[in-house]
Amino acid sequence: MKTSLKWAVVLAALGGILTTLAFVGAFTYARMQTNGTVNLPPAVARQVIADSKNGFPLAPPAQQPSSPNLLAVQKPWFSQKIFFFHVPLAVASLLVFTIAAIFSVLFLVKRKKSYDTRSRIAMEATLVFIIGTMISGDLWTRASWGVWWEWEPRLTTYAIMTLLVIAYFVLRNSVEDEERRAVYAAVFSIFAWVDAPVTFLITRILPSTHPTLTGLETSNLIPFMVGMAGMCMLGFAIYELRFNEVHLHERLDALKDDLEG
Amino acid sequence: MPYEDKVLTRKSKADKGSGDRMGSGTVLSSGDKTVPDPILSPDPLSTQRPKISSWRQFKAILRKDIVMELRTKEMITSMGLYALLVLIIYYVALSQAGTNFDVSRISAGLLLLAIVFTSMLGLNRSLVHEQDQGQLDALLLSPIDRPILFLGKAVTNFIFLAIVEVIITPLFYFIFMGNAHTSQMGPLWMVALALLLGSIGIAGVGTLLATMSVNTKGKDFVLAVIFIPLMFPLLLAVVTALNAVILGNPDATTVFWRFAGIAFGYDVITIAIAWALYEFILGV
Amino acid sequence: MPEQAKGTNAQVPALEVQGLIRIFGARKALDGVTFTLPRGAFLSIFGPNGAGKTTLLRVLSTLTPPSQGSGGFKNSGSGARVFGYDVVKDAVELRERIGIISHNPLLYPDLSADENLRFFADLYCINDPQARIDELLEAVELKHRRMDLVRTFSRGMIQRLSIARALLPHPDILFLDEPYSGLDPHAADILDGLIASVRDQYTFVMVSHDLDKGLELCSHALILARGKVVLFEERDDIDREQFRVLYHQTVGLGVS
Repeated sequence: MKTSLKWAVVLAALGGILTTLAFVGAFTYARMQTNGTVNLPPAVARQVIADSKNGFPLAPPAQQPSSPNLLAVQKPWFSQKIFFFHVPLAVASLLVFTIAAIFSVLFLVKRKKSYDTRSRIAMEATLVFIIGTMISGDLWTRASWGVWWEWEPRLTTYAIMTLLVIAYFVLRNSVEDEERRAVYAAVFSIFAWVDAPVTFLITRILPSTHPTLTGLETSNLIPFMVGMAGMCMLGFAIYELRFNEVHLHERLDALKDDLEG
Repeated sequence: MPYEDKVLTRKSKADKGSGDRMGSGTVLSSGDKTVPDPILSPDPLSTQRPKISSWRQFKAILRKDIVMELRTKEMITSMGLYALLVLIIYYVALSQAGTNFDVSRISAGLLLLAIVFTSMLGLNRSLVHEQDQGQLDALLLSPIDRPILFLGKAVTNFIFLAIVEVIITPLFYFIFMGNAHTSQMGPLWMVALALLLGSIGIAGVGTLLATMSVNTKGKDFVLAVIFIPLMFPLLLAVVTALNAVILGNPDATTVFWRFAGIAFGYDVITIAIAWALYEFILGV
Repeated sequence: MPEQAKGTNAQVPALEVQGLIRIFGARKALDGVTFTLPRGAFLSIFGPNGAGKTTLLRVLSTLTPPSQGSGGFKNSGSGARVFGYDVVKDAVELRERIGIISHNPLLYPDLSADENLRFFADLYCINDPQARIDELLEAVELKHRRMDLVRTFSRGMIQRLSIARALLPHPDILFLDEPYSGLDPHAADILDGLIASVRDQYTFVMVSHDLDKGLELCSHALILARGKVVLFEERDDIDREQFRVLYHQTVGLGVS
């Protein structure tokens, strides 16, 4: 077995373990975030607080209702857990997108077919991770904002990136000559890679409601970082494994051609 | 056939300066050894090749495209007509909006939409012109720097787009904004500047993308799919800037300059990339 | 390595092709093509569809870069030189010395004959373009139609004009890419006449499907199959019958 393939398998396993750890950690180790309050009769409220082992903490005095018959309890924010996967998915998608752009540049300089294949595979991985990000992000918008889609800057940026990656494959499929296809795809992916930050920048200038990463407490930060590391490893491993597979196929086809000749 | 004889007999007229620079005819002694025709033979002085002037080549491309356009009027007519049709569709779309609806709030977007769709038509056409009889190969065989070729095509595309804009922008204004609340509207040169920045980007990126898409199976479709997402930042910047001018809110000037700056930055970045990558597209 | 002699030096052969490779992935359009063509020769390239004929012509005319591979010249270079000019390193200088006549006219139908030539004269930055255009139009017998649009020309006239276009910058070598395809017999005769009249002054490289015509015109013949040179010989050494048999065998090999 090739060394790169071995590494890819190791990375895939490690990434899988880390992502699972992050998943478990997000629900156990990470302190439950709260969002809003719910008013309950005092007896029920005390029961809930006790049963949930502080999962539903008592709201601070400022948020307590005036009525003595009700006690305000903070609501746990379950949809916040999406964040532990959503952000790593987005970061991993940018990682493989960058790999695609780097191999596109290398391809244009060296004209080696394997670089084109690498770039294409990285783009495929980008598409997978972008779709993952879009779905997890969408669940979040539904749960937190109450809508399936909003033309919000960060979402818009991401939608455009998705379209760019899809356009990449449309372009590839519509060119017949092998080398021309590779060159066009490389040029386009470089363009798309430069375009993505510009899109990001312009949408950031418009006012945004998208949450930003600030003041993450340790109990949240640790599973999050573990998830990030795991997802990036997974991203790279998926790309590398798939490349190995495709590369083998290509060599097999070449050998078949030679036999026929 | 007498024609051949005419050509062949012209050889006898050949005279001075029939230099044998390449040693041609000495290596191989087949065929008749009449004196070579100086017109049809290699230039005896060709060691002193003419100096290549990029400016002259650039002007040649510009002039060729403009002369062809003046003759056929193909691009302007098709683009203009298409833009007009888009305006009619706008009318249909807005016909039931009622009198209270203020068109000026969405006019920036509508205008840009018409321009974007029209430009895609033109971009596709302008590159098909170079392709259908292999003219692009002839261009590439000449000692022209590839970036000059890119610049030539991009500038002609820009000129045609600008002409169409000059026609449809006033038309758009009179058709849709005659009754709109436009008293707050900013100066006209700001509108022109926003459209200018948009058109430069469209022509620059579009020329590169159209050069690719004419070599694909679904020419126009592929152009739309790769063009629109890439243009997104520019379109958003131009619409925001235009909108600020048209609505004339208190902070209009600030917003306008910020987004005009972004559009300018986009133009500079993308045209620099297109300039650098154009050669790769032509090399296959 | 001493600077390669270029251009005017009569010792430099017209074409020097050594281990020329053009590969992409598993597809080998040119697989180690090697031959040397003297100045003033007329090379006819034969081969089945997909043998790499057009690719070879495109590489030699700088339109397509060759692949970097194990082939090529010892120290540097791409594997192909035309009059000593490397097709990659000296592409810009080389382009001024190449004329191409293809089955595609490479002309703008909506421009007149004069405007077409004027445009290409500007691209080549030719001094005193009008004088050059006039003499060329006269030479190809199109002076009376100079102001007419190419769109209105017959196939034969277009081919004559494209010869004028190819000769415009005083090239040293002419590449003919199946120039006879699509020509009626009369137009083909005219083309024959024109080629014959300039035959002695140029080096020619012609890609052809027409075995008889190609052999009749050429001084050297080359058969290409699956990106490899099957045969490269001077015409006088060729046994026509054997050549024909060999050619049909390679056609049987099909596409690489």
